[in-house]
Amino acid sequence: MAENNLCIALHQVGKTVDTPDGELDILNNISLDVKYQEAVVIKGASGSGKTTLLGLMAGLDQSTSGEVFLLGHNLAEKNEEQRSSIRAGKVGFVFQSFHLVQGANALQNVMLPLELSATDNASKLAETSLQQVGLEAKAHTLVDHLSGGEQQRVAIARAFATRPVVLFADEPTGNLDAATGRQIADLMFHLRDQSGTTLVLVTHEEELLERGDRQILMESGRLLVN
Amino acid sequence: MNLKNATIHSYWLMFIATVITVGIVTSSQLVTNRISLLLDRQASELLAADLVILSSKKFDAEYQAAAREQGLQVSQSVSLRTAVFIDDEPQLVELKAVDAAYPLRGKLERAHEVTAQRSYAEQGPSVGEVWLDSKLASIVGQDLTLGEQAFTASWLLTYEPDRGGAIFNLAPRVLMNIEDLAQTGLVVPGSRVRYRLMFAGDQADIASFKTWLAINLKPGEEVQDLENARPEMRRALESTRKFFALAIVLTLVIAMAAIAITARYTANREAPKIAMLRAFGISQLSLFKHYLGQLGRLWIAATIVGVILGWATQFPLQWALDGWFGKTLPQVYSLRPYLSAALVGLIALAGFSLPYLLNATATPPMQVLRTVVNRRSWSRGLLMTGSAIIAVFCVLVILMQSSLLAIAVLGIVLACAFILPLILGWMVKLLLVSSRRRFWLRQYLLSRLQASSRGAIYVMSGFSLVLIAILLIAVVKDELMGEWQAQLPDDIPNYFLINIRSDDVAGIEEFLRQRQIEASTPYALVRARMSQINGVDIDKIRFSHPRGSHSVTHTFNITYADELPEQNKIVAGSWLDENRDPMQFSVEEGMAERLGLTLGDQLMMTVGSKTLQASVTSIRSVLWENFKPNFYLIANKELIADMPQTWLLSALIKDRHKADLKQLLQRYPSVTLLDISELMARVKAIVDKATVALQFFFLFALAAASIVLLAAIQTGRHEREVESSLLRALGAHTSQLYRVHVLEFTLMGVLIGFFAAAIASIAGWAVSVYFFDIEYHFSASLWAYSLVSACLVLTLAGIMVSRRVYNVSPMKILRS
Repeated sequence: MAENNLCIALHQVGKTVDTPDGELDILNNISLDVKYQEAVVIKGASGSGKTTLLGLMAGLDQSTSGEVFLLGHNLAEKNEEQRSSIRAGKVGFVFQSFHLVQGANALQNVMLPLELSATDNASKLAETSLQQVGLEAKAHTLVDHLSGGEQQRVAIARAFATRPVVLFADEPTGNLDAATGRQIADLMFHLRDQSGTTLVLVTHEEELLERGDRQILMESGRLLVN
Repeated sequence: MNLKNATIHSYWLMFIATVITVGIVTSSQLVTNRISLLLDRQASELLAADLVILSSKKFDAEYQAAAREQGLQVSQSVSLRTAVFIDDEPQLVELKAVDAAYPLRGKLERAHEVTAQRSYAEQGPSVGEVWLDSKLASIVGQDLTLGEQAFTASWLLTYEPDRGGAIFNLAPRVLMNIEDLAQTGLVVPGSRVRYRLMFAGDQADIASFKTWLAINLKPGEEVQDLENARPEMRRALESTRKFFALAIVLTLVIAMAAIAITARYTANREAPKIAMLRAFGISQLSLFKHYLGQLGRLWIAATIVGVILGWATQFPLQWALDGWFGKTLPQVYSLRPYLSAALVGLIALAGFSLPYLLNATATPPMQVLRTVVNRRSWSRGLLMTGSAIIAVFCVLVILMQSSLLAIAVLGIVLACAFILPLILGWMVKLLLVSSRRRFWLRQYLLSRLQASSRGAIYVMSGFSLVLIAILLIAVVKDELMGEWQAQLPDDIPNYFLINIRSDDVAGIEEFLRQRQIEASTPYALVRARMSQINGVDIDKIRFSHPRGSHSVTHTFNITYADELPEQNKIVAGSWLDENRDPMQFSVEEGMAERLGLTLGDQLMMTVGSKTLQASVTSIRSVLWENFKPNFYLIANKELIADMPQTWLLSALIKDRHKADLKQLLQRYPSVTLLDISELMARVKAIVDKATVALQFFFLFALAAASIVLLAAIQTGRHEREVESSLLRALGAHTSQLYRVHVLEFTLMGVLIGFFAAAIASIAGWAVSVYFFDIEYHFSASLWAYSLVSACLVLTLAGIMVSRRVYNVSPMKILRS
């Protein structure tokens, strides 16, 4: 399938790193396509390479071999600045550790990616996004004062505020208890269904695996099931 | 589980901070000791010795024996008034006989004639020769008779180190060898002779001998050292010493700020490791003991390196200052600077880092599974605060050896340490409260400063303290230099005209006016001796002050003045008011203290065969350092109008008018011209050298501050990298990342610069007025300097940081 019709495409991608004990292959010969508006869930044990794979797909890192296409752009040909530009306004992230700006309130955190991409009416859009995650009442609360679940909801609001084409989620429920984790997962998939955003989610939880349109299992840097 | 894994993170950071602390203390103690010694040595040249005993009687041998036992050099001189005959005309002279050791400090200068090249002489005249001062220049090269002995006047004496002290009592000087004195027959029973015994040696030996003298001194004998013999030097030296003490303390504050910042950072970085070790069953006590051992080894290593570094900094200083001073800085042979530095390093390290490490060892083991806030209990908080206070106090006491002063400085430092974080925190909050809707960029920057995880407020407080210390050093340095330069401007009078007859006063004033030579108001001088105080004969009074008995034989120069002289200040009573009482004395406060005088005391003075009596109606403070005519006693005009008197005035005689001096002396032969420019030049040179030393400390403080800045930059580096990778992940451009890091530091610079200037101004006022007893002048340039330097330095730091941080891979955000 032509890369232009795909949200993300990986062709024989490998990632090797140098360690004190020599070279280590984290990813081996990965080929993978993700269509637009598809929800892909990647599961693997710790050390399987799933986070590395996510990073390559999002343009946060560069592969050692093979090609990675994101939104039609061959990331191998782009430098860090160019990859940043590709992401701006089009790619959203939800992290395991939330990674909110401490000392700022919920509204300001959601506004951040909008302002970085020079979007007009950033404040209004951010307020709307917070409404969608049910935190409009806590817009001016410092994120340091929010619970873990609330912080992750702010992170989700931030990710969806720019109406991204693709959302990358790295263990979004990893730091939450089971009940809160389910609520977060429900929220994320609900918003994704509403907006038609392509979703790539990395997890080690079986429950989340079943919610995706496609499931990918990884082990030792290789795809077991795609 | 092997505890070896529990090495201190950022070990090198704490090591460097401790090395700096030890190095600063070593260097500053060595440097100040050596500079202080040099300044004292230079100033002692004006005394021709380190210590002098004066007496009107010949000294027993015991003083010299005791001094030699202490390892001191000894010299003696004898002075008396006599006459020489020049062209069969008698000329009153001040004869001084000196031994081969004279002068013990400083050098004599001589020339063959007034306009000839001057040369130094290692010792005074040989047997059979005399040296004459400029008044007798016309007979240099000829023979003259002193008493029963003939001499050859072989040299013109152009400079005598200890002559300035008797500025108004000068007949022309004749210098001779003491071995010739007996042959002259001039010293007979009843002669008015002054004996001087001079001593020089190491500071410690002089101090020890002085203590022995205090017990063994006989009535009528007076001890003179630099500070009581040369009041014009006293304030300059005292101020310099106080400034050194202040500069050491403030420089140390900077170094301890570095230890505090790095200790906090290290403890925070160690917490995850500690949680892991505790999860594996290692007790808190075992961990603490282990870290204690680590700190002990760090202290030993840092002390060795710091002491060597501090010792080594003497050499660039010596190289820099030797050229200016023209001689080598004297060596200090003492272990005290090194031991003090080691002790200070230990106290600072223990005081600031142990409490943080103790808190870190209490990290809950649950931390390995999830982030658990290690809330500091109130007792632990108290321990940390108390430990820091005690550490700072102990360090100050060790260095300043005065617990009162240590408490005062501690108070200022603590006030800053507590107030600064509060003020800075409020300021940031205030700036955050804004109606602006945008978050990026300003609000984002302010939120970074406010985030407690970054500790930015503490770093800013630490750096503010550093800048305050530097500004305070600069403020005080400028005030001191300004005061010294105000006292010794280039246009103060360089000649005294003395022994002017009353009839000649108007003529001389006109002579000077016609040639546009600036001169002071003429002062009448009546030479008198004190005979009674409150009706009691002076020689029957036992004075409690050690120098009180000097007045028994001292001849006072009394003048009168309608108005209070410039740079005199009334400290008790009121200025002479003829309407109140026609007979009044105004007494200088030092003299009042020595003689135990108070307002209302009756003084009787003897002028030849006449007496005059008046009460003390005011006590004045006098600025002796201004080289203008100053007087211990001032009377109202009526009291001394009929007394035998001469006049004096001071004048600024520039080179182009020197030729007129000959004409003046020919027209008015009774006038004695006293050239004090040489003396002033030497005093000015000492003040200039002290200024160089002050500026050295300023540079030292700047160097130490830059290390603190580096430490501060390191703190929060990890957090900055994570933030940068987050911003990258969210699509920020390089230019946006660059701006955020640089502007964060610039914003810190603005806040730090503003508050440091405010606090330094207040502290500068307090220190100037209460510590140095000098006026404080508000300085707008201080504010400009503070803001510009803080912004510039921190912006440059921001550029340095941003270049390393914005290249961090955004993958870091996934890994963190």
